[in-house]
Amino acid sequence: VRPEAAAWERAAEVREAAAGWRRAGAIDRATHEAIDAAYPDPCVTPSAVWRILTAAMVTAVMLCTLGAAWIAVQPGVTGLALLLFLFAGAAVVATERLDAAPRLARRGAAGATSFWGSVFLLAGLGLLADHAVDQVLVAGVLVWGAGCWRWGSPLCAGLSAVSLFAFLGRLPLGRALWVLAGSALAAVAARRTDAAGWAPSHRRAAMVLLVIGVAAVYAALNVYSLDEQLLEELRAIAPRRSAPPPGLLVLAGVATAVLPLVVLAWAWTSRRTLLLDTGIVLFAASLVTARYYVDLAPLWVVLTVSGALLVALALAVEGALRRRPGGEYAGFTAEPLFADERGQPLLQAVPVAAALTPAAPVAASEDEGFAGRGGAFGGGGASERF
Amino acid sequence: VNPDVAAAIGRLRAQRVLSSGQAALFSRVARAHLVSIRLELRLLLYAGVLLLASGVGLLVVEHHREIGRWAITAAIGLGAAGCLFWVARQAPPFSWQAVPSPSVAFDYVLLLGLLLLASGLAYLEAQFTVLGPRWAHHLLVVGVVYLLAAYRWDSPTVLGLAVSTLAAWRGLSVSLLHGSLGAGDPGDLRANALAVGALYVALATLSVRLERKPHFEDVFGNAGLLLLLGALVSGALAAAAWGVWLAALLAVAGLVMWRSFHLGRSLYFAQGVLAAYAGLLRLVFAPSRFGASSVPFVVAALLGLGALALVFTAHRRMTER
Repeated sequence: VRPEAAAWERAAEVREAAAGWRRAGAIDRATHEAIDAAYPDPCVTPSAVWRILTAAMVTAVMLCTLGAAWIAVQPGVTGLALLLFLFAGAAVVATERLDAAPRLARRGAAGATSFWGSVFLLAGLGLLADHAVDQVLVAGVLVWGAGCWRWGSPLCAGLSAVSLFAFLGRLPLGRALWVLAGSALAAVAARRTDAAGWAPSHRRAAMVLLVIGVAAVYAALNVYSLDEQLLEELRAIAPRRSAPPPGLLVLAGVATAVLPLVVLAWAWTSRRTLLLDTGIVLFAASLVTARYYVDLAPLWVVLTVSGALLVALALAVEGALRRRPGGEYAGFTAEPLFADERGQPLLQAVPVAAALTPAAPVAASEDEGFAGRGGAFGGGGASERF
Repeated sequence: VNPDVAAAIGRLRAQRVLSSGQAALFSRVARAHLVSIRLELRLLLYAGVLLLASGVGLLVVEHHREIGRWAITAAIGLGAAGCLFWVARQAPPFSWQAVPSPSVAFDYVLLLGLLLLASGLAYLEAQFTVLGPRWAHHLLVVGVVYLLAAYRWDSPTVLGLAVSTLAAWRGLSVSLLHGSLGAGDPGDLRANALAVGALYVALATLSVRLERKPHFEDVFGNAGLLLLLGALVSGALAAAAWGVWLAALLAVAGLVMWRSFHLGRSLYFAQGVLAAYAGLLRLVFAPSRFGASSVPFVVAALLGLGALALVFTAHRRMTER
């Protein structure tokens, strides 16, 4: 990230915090204006809707232009690779120019050009390397990593880490390498998420790397992943499947149970909510793994009981926090603090409608009588067919 | 921890822009000494409701013969009544304006109660075939129940479910899990989508004009535009008389962009732009026009540039609400 862009980002962080304080009524208008004046930010920062729309249209322009050039030139493999390099170069130049202009840097266009520039470069390399997956993955680690470093994109950081683990998974002892690299990545990234010397975008990228590192360690240690040799399937020539030693399976079983608790404990002590979310997801994955191996009860019992437990847990935690003085315990609160919740009702309605809406009935002719297809009720598993 | 904000708070305190009380509170949040887990509680509640509703549905499907119809009806009814009783006791008095939820859990317990109620109604319908061949009308009943509950307890979440259930009654899948418009005759689906979409857009307008739950406008408006523009795009891309559909799409998308620009609604505007662009792509890539040529791609890229210019101009001039 160029120094002036880092300075803009820091100012934007302060202004965003001040906007939250103002929304919550914690500061008055005059104070808000004084803070904005003390931390000027020359960048135009549209809302997420504008940024996504801009990125979508930039993507359309880039892909259509590439398509036009491809059809006009009709190159062979090498020619296509060169064409992709040409477009990658143009995308990098465009990203540099957009990133340097305060009025354009945060509109979503720079994100789209940097993403597609990297994709074009890797696709060109893949064509020249005759689809050599390992070389492309190594190049992916470097290209996405460089993109993150230069333009501060957390998405690039995530894709760089995914490329790294995909490459490691293809090596002999890939599973052990996932554990080692994942642990190292999580440890290094955790120290950088709060680093004052890093630009805010780089700190967000570090947070993404932390989550991916933890997830990689969990995926390598999960007993189902070991039993089914899921990571070994990544290799170019998958080894013949053989049952892992029983002792190793037991160790993996213990790790599957313990690792989510370790992550949750880490999140509790460090008060990192993204880590807390990761711990909750890993815990759910471990429960699903346990259900796969230990048939404690029928599926409907497991679903109902775990659902009731989750609701009860959430109610208990919220109630306990509300009863505490100041509504907080050990540094946690159920209050929104200064978060922007204006768009939340719509965001909340979308997943509920998507997951819980009954299926639309398929039109049936009158003489078929009761067709009973569709119209399912109550979410996954429930239906009208009794 | 946000070191930039933490440092700024110290500086602002030294300059007396912030009082010591304000600085102390803001500093605790910036240094992660005080963290909100509101989102995590919401996620837990959402997952819990999803699992519970699925478990109950599975139980009924797999074991309704052993348990007996009356026992199942009574159990589901009791569960629903328990949730709705809790909601009724917790709920603040009715108002046509936005009413803050008394707790994070309120919306989700309401949702669970309504889902159980809907499961019970569906079970009754399947067992006793009250509606007979018109069984799909139970979706209308359930949708109306959701709608009433959404208004009474001021829940945009339940309103979203009501809107998608009523669309499902007309054979339309708003759900991400069931395809774009649903399964069935495309012509009928488009007609239904146009009618339901227009109705929702009208309800969004009325909500604001009459000041009856004006904050529900987002849900009605976005669902309505999704259906309306989705139907028109579907017609422009797939119908035999696609030219007529395209003309209608461009007219409606233009109207949506114009109105949303004046209303300051970026999400409506974005839907209009994307729908118009998708429709124009149909025109540009119409197979008989250019054959295997780079011309349509160039035109599509130029259209994209035009759309970008429109987006930039609209953003610069729009006063977003």
